[in-house]
Amino acid sequence: MKKPECIKILDKKLPQDVLVVTPTGKTYMYWEATGREAQFTQLNLGLCTPAGLGLALALPHRKVVVLDGDGNILFNLASIADLAVQNPGNLIDIVFDNECYQSCDSFPSVTAKGVQLESIAKGCGIKNALTVRSLVEFEAAVDKALAGQELFFIVVKVEPGEDLVTLPRQEGRENKYRFVRYVERTENIRIINPYPRRRKKDFLPSN
Amino acid sequence: MKKEAVEAIVAGLKQAGINFVSMLPDSDFTDAQKAVMADKEFTCVPVSNEAIAFGVCAGAWVGGKKPALLITTDGIMASAFPLTTLNLQKNIPVLMVVPYRGSLGDGIWFVGPMAFTTEPLLKDLQVAYTVINKIDDVTKAIRDAQLSAEAWLRPTAVLLAGEVIFEEA
Repeated sequence: MKKPECIKILDKKLPQDVLVVTPTGKTYMYWEATGREAQFTQLNLGLCTPAGLGLALALPHRKVVVLDGDGNILFNLASIADLAVQNPGNLIDIVFDNECYQSCDSFPSVTAKGVQLESIAKGCGIKNALTVRSLVEFEAAVDKALAGQELFFIVVKVEPGEDLVTLPRQEGRENKYRFVRYVERTENIRIINPYPRRRKKDFLPSN
Repeated sequence: MKKEAVEAIVAGLKQAGINFVSMLPDSDFTDAQKAVMADKEFTCVPVSNEAIAFGVCAGAWVGGKKPALLITTDGIMASAFPLTTLNLQKNIPVLMVVPYRGSLGDGIWFVGPMAFTTEPLLKDLQVAYTVINKIDDVTKAIRDAQLSAEAWLRPTAVLLAGEVIFEEA
């Protein structure tokens, strides 16, 4: 099973309003190429799952999907424990496990040496922690997770190696602004407030 | 920590509009952290290391929350990576409220090095900060630090020292 095949399945199955959080590397590039608006991208080592957790807790009525990787989540392994304790029912944490650091000439990660992320997640108390090894299993796991209101931690064993991908056009700050404006619009809230100390007499009351 | 200091911290967070707090305990800060956790106005997310807290708070901010971190001076050092690759890289604000271990008056030998590393590190990480020694100044300092974090889309820090964290021996 290859990661781009899984990305295509997710793009087909996830409603457009699902909030997707992606790490640095090829995963975000594949997902950015879907053209979806509701994506918060390029979360660096160890920060993807924590950011997804914060987002899920901030917006408990929205479904949040994290597309993490083995190297990324291993950097901050304790985030699995914190995720388990918070147990947000609106979060699906998908970890693409290619057992290596792909962007570093496929240098092996510890999951190539027998470390099992599913077991760690289960040990932390995540009931719906599972490992899938085929596209059929992946589709079934995603369907089940999307249908429910429980935290899922899905380890997806994928082959090392990546496909060629469109060169990304957004850098991280632009992505942040786009995502925040999307959340502001769909939630009818204000997040960015560049003039928190302003003279009220200069502005319309609605500001 | 004196009761008045705890009340000043909680009041500052509320007046600043903070509604989401992530934290890791510190021996001289747990009274304040427990008070925040007991207050239903805050969504509280205790974490296992501070780097996780920065990620959690960034996610909460893009989701519309006003986050703050109640973390240790050690935690600033542990957070150099997320501060650089998340908050500075993407211009994501967060308020840090930190008991300043290693400030003068601290009587524990092993925090001594923090007297020399904490402020240079914050400067290197481009975190605007203020050091508050008086309980009467705490609430306004927290309010002001959040206001600037919000306007500048940057992390800011309030370092609590003197009578705010140290009780007379």
